Amino acid sequence: MKKKITISKKFEFSASHRYWIDDWSAEKNNEVFGLCTSPYGHGHNYELHVTVSGPVDPQTGMIINLSTLKAIAGKIVEQFDHKFLNLDTPYFKDRVPTTENIALVLYELLEEQLKKEAGITLEKIRLYERGDLYVDVWPEDK
Amino acid sequence: MKKVQVALSKVFSFSAAHRLHVPEKDQAFNQQIYDKCNNLNGHGHDYYLEISIKGPVNTKTGMIIPLTDFDQAVEKVIAPLDHRHLDHEIDYFKNHRSTGEEIVKYLWQELEKYLGKKLFRLKLWETNNNYFELERID
Repeated sequence: MKKKITISKKFEFSASHRYWIDDWSAEKNNEVFGLCTSPYGHGHNYELHVTVSGPVDPQTGMIINLSTLKAIAGKIVEQFDHKFLNLDTPYFKDRVPTTENIALVLYELLEEQLKKEAGITLEKIRLYERGDLYVDVWPEDK
Repeated sequence: MKKVQVALSKVFSFSAAHRLHVPEKDQAFNQQIYDKCNNLNGHGHDYYLEISIKGPVNTKTGMIIPLTDFDQAVEKVIAPLDHRHLDHEIDYFKNHRSTGEEIVKYLWQELEKYLGKKLFRLKLWETNNNYFELERID
């Protein structure tokens, strides 16, 4: 039987954002984005679950040392913590900081850094905007 | 970046009464199969429904489906069940038992009318201890 083992670690960051598309009218923005168009932004306590997979090292008994995962992902998450995502990060100049887009940005940053710094495969991320809304991102071939 | 899949999940709730009972069978049968859930005058739950949609993220809106459209579609399906007795007031349950399995199948059938192939997974919590999942695997 083929099996897969994963480990997940949770990170939190608090940030504000605003949904707005410049080349749409105010009516259209309000119709599509509702309360999320509020002019000065609004915020959430985001919760990010990072799941990685790989062989368990026979000596350490680990897929990845949790402190390594914490350091790599922590550095990425820090860029978002206590920021206004639209203006204080470089990622949302030309895309709306929806939960989908924030998750896509985080996935891309995490995938690259985990591979580079730890040779580890990112299996999946889950980003909670609130307890009742979350986005999953995972590779197309899985 | 590798190609990825994206799914968004949101939790909704409704409260409803039901009774598990097979009308063609006698009381002993129903009592044995359904036990407390066969209570003559029904009983109720706060159902929690986690709805997942999957698909490409629209490059303009940054969303799989605009959340306002998603919420409206879900409202149309859930509102008719909220504060109702499923077996007495919802047609589907005239000839289907109102078990979690059947409720989740009914919700899939109704939600798919609005969400189409983007509907990816449903997770229906009947109580904190029981949940039912239905997922597209094609």
